Amino acid sequence: MLELADVHAYYGNIRALRGLSLTVERGEIVTLIGANGAGKTTTLRTILGTVRARRGSVTFDGRRLDGLATDRIVRLGIAQSPEGRRIFPRMTVLENLELGAFARVDRDGIAADLERVFGLFPRLRERVAQKGGTLSGGEQQMLAIGRALMARPGLLLLDEPSMGLSPILVETIFRIVQDINRQGTTILLVEQNARMALQVAHRGYVLQTGRIVLQDAAAALLRSDLVRKTYLGEK
Amino acid sequence: MTGARHAAGITALVVGLLVYPFLDRALGFQTVHAVSDGMIYVLLALGLNIVVGYAGLLDLGYAAFFAIGAYAMGLLNSPVLGSPLYGHPWSFWLCIWIAAAVSALLGVAIGAPTLRVRGDYLAIITLGFGEIIPVAIRNLGDITIDIGGWRLVDRLNLTGGENGVNPVGRPYLPGVPFETDPTPWYFLILVVGLGSLWAMTRLRDSRLGRAWMAIREDETAADCTGVNPVSTKLLAFALGASFSGFAGSIYAAKLQAITPGAFEFQVSIMLLCMVVLGGAGSLRGVILGGMLITVFDRVVLSQSTFLVRALGRATGLPLLATIDLTLWRWFFFGLGLVLVMLLRPQGLAGRRERVLVVRDEDDTLAAEPVAPPARTEAIPAWLRERSAEAAAGTPLLEVRGLARRFEGIVAVNEVDLLVPRAAIIGLIGPNGAGKTTFFNVVTGLIRPDGGSITFEGASLVGLRPNAIVARGVARTFQSIRLFPHMTVLENVLVGEHCRLAATVPGAVLRPPSVRAEEVRARERARALLAFVGLADKDGDDARNLPYGDQRRLEIARALATEPKLLLLDEPTAGMNPNETERLTELIGLLRRELALSVLLIEHDMEVVMRISDRITVLDYGTRIAEGTPAEIQRHPRVIEAYLGTGYEPAAR
Repeated sequence: MLELADVHAYYGNIRALRGLSLTVERGEIVTLIGANGAGKTTTLRTILGTVRARRGSVTFDGRRLDGLATDRIVRLGIAQSPEGRRIFPRMTVLENLELGAFARVDRDGIAADLERVFGLFPRLRERVAQKGGTLSGGEQQMLAIGRALMARPGLLLLDEPSMGLSPILVETIFRIVQDINRQGTTILLVEQNARMALQVAHRGYVLQTGRIVLQDAAAALLRSDLVRKTYLGEK
Repeated sequence: MTGARHAAGITALVVGLLVYPFLDRALGFQTVHAVSDGMIYVLLALGLNIVVGYAGLLDLGYAAFFAIGAYAMGLLNSPVLGSPLYGHPWSFWLCIWIAAAVSALLGVAIGAPTLRVRGDYLAIITLGFGEIIPVAIRNLGDITIDIGGWRLVDRLNLTGGENGVNPVGRPYLPGVPFETDPTPWYFLILVVGLGSLWAMTRLRDSRLGRAWMAIREDETAADCTGVNPVSTKLLAFALGASFSGFAGSIYAAKLQAITPGAFEFQVSIMLLCMVVLGGAGSLRGVILGGMLITVFDRVVLSQSTFLVRALGRATGLPLLATIDLTLWRWFFFGLGLVLVMLLRPQGLAGRRERVLVVRDEDDTLAAEPVAPPARTEAIPAWLRERSAEAAAGTPLLEVRGLARRFEGIVAVNEVDLLVPRAAIIGLIGPNGAGKTTFFNVVTGLIRPDGGSITFEGASLVGLRPNAIVARGVARTFQSIRLFPHMTVLENVLVGEHCRLAATVPGAVLRPPSVRAEEVRARERARALLAFVGLADKDGDDARNLPYGDQRRLEIARALATEPKLLLLDEPTAGMNPNETERLTELIGLLRRELALSVLLIEHDMEVVMRISDRITVLDYGTRIAEGTPAEIQRHPRVIEAYLGTGYEPAAR
């Protein structure tokens, strides 16, 4: 479904991705783990075109994405919940969610998805008329995920969805990830909480300084010495 | 050798500047006059750069200060207005300082009402001020105040009105022909300009310059790091205005006549163009921008008019033969500005990106390099010395009945919380429970609606954030708030701001005490960076650090304020297990070795349960539980609202 082949990307002169290749098959949950600064977020940005690959290709359903404008890419069925809660602070919770469905025309479907998001995050229903910027950090995180779901994407990119959420909500988030995956959404998941991520994912990639150093079934990665020492914090 | 080349370049520049007017006369160019005028504008642009480039306050009416400087000179040193100073040989040299002082005072007066606004609003206010001054000058040429038939003021000529002030007294130095020769003016302006540049360089590299930049980068974070935004902004306005006071008074004396038309809005825009074209915040860039625009305006436009007219006559095109390109100057300025913004938004000499290259050799599959563990020996000695002063006894922080509402929503509801000395207190609760709001109230960002906050026996309610930092309360932010375009070292140095004492004269003149203070500040900052594991990154821009490093830098910056109480808002969010482990050790170390108290918002239960002495749980703004970690883990309401049934207490 999604294929990155030998992708190189830079921030100014800073090399962020050095020949990264990965694939995501339809129906999968694939997780990308690695230290801070390894290039996980850059990978997601390169897929959406907010960072341009200087070399290599990004293909989605057989179409080249590199070179397309971000809004075109989103219309092809990719949505992202960005790291750091990039919500629209001066718009209400409802407006934020409705903007997530900006590229859609199926009114009934949008209404149903809105209900689904409120079902997943009752807190957002309580705050529906509040401005996004007045939400707490964790609530903004819920809103960012909800907004991405409103696009009803074929491929959902999640960047650190559990960050800043209470333990009870972290559990909920990963349950939601599995639920929407079962409903047919393919997911590429970036997480610092590698244990949780590998528990819900089918496959995983380990990223170090801009390239893939290890890839395997998630269960196998959970058993790998490198992963356990470096990313699960086991002694 | 770059050092030798640098020295050679400086020597060539100095020789060039000294020789230029004589060379000009020998060759008969007669450009000294125009170049001197250009240098006055460069000096103005440098003053504007303090306000716009350093402090980040967009000023669209800066020419008003130019006018004030010029009219201060005019009023004090002209026979038209009957000044008693006129005709004395020393009066110019006195008036130039008075003009600078008057401009600085008005800078403060103008700055004061604009302190609470930023960006668009500030720009509009300064725009209004820039319009008011020339109009006021025009209309204060003939004042009559009549109260009930009694003439209080009868036809007073305060400003010369539309006709302006003419003549203005020249400077006097024995044997120097200021009347007939432009060369002495050139050297006068050169000396004043270089002196100003020297002062500006020193200000920029002082605690004051760092405070300006911190305000520009993130005013809230600067406030919470101990920088007083009010005095810092006023100082920027005052100093920026005082340099234009110098420029204006020299301009008045050189031109011998001033009229209100010379200080219109366009002048403000042209000065802004110089700053933006060269690169806001870069002294070299502003000089370059100022020179380019002046040369273009004074030389290129008039010369090319001749050329185009000649071309028009030769080709028989009457449109070209009669054109006057100088009438198009604003067209060209506008065009140039648009092009610079499109092609090089940071300006011609703006700071370039630092080049960071990912090392290529480490292709082998290896464990990630992780931050060095926090070591007791690495604790900076000066922090340790300071902590010895902390006495035991009463609780450090005592919060009683704290309340805060937002538009009907109760964010914090009658919350009590105690932080003893050398304790780590956890503050947990569901998302939106009011934890960060609680931090914001304690640190002064938000005023409480009720309740008391007592720190070391004194109330914190009503104090500004920077005053609370000075008392010894430092914080970090949930979504890291560093000063992104300042270096790692500078970020920590801003943290020390409230513990340093250098004032404007001190920063410029650098007496031994200030020098020693600055050296010590840098040593302390380096020691802190080494302590948090960022020793080799002190020259990087903060924004280029990876996430985990940014978190640690923010903690180092908070420690630099020499706090007794540290408020950490989700310090391990977004960190991997190894980084979290290191940070947890670091926090424990601060308490154990430095007797520092920590109030901690955190969602990683392993961290909270391991290092907290006691935990307070909030839900919907209300305290639902308080107790030891063991008590909290078993508390049914906490499990229901926050922990969830999936959380299993670690067997310890």
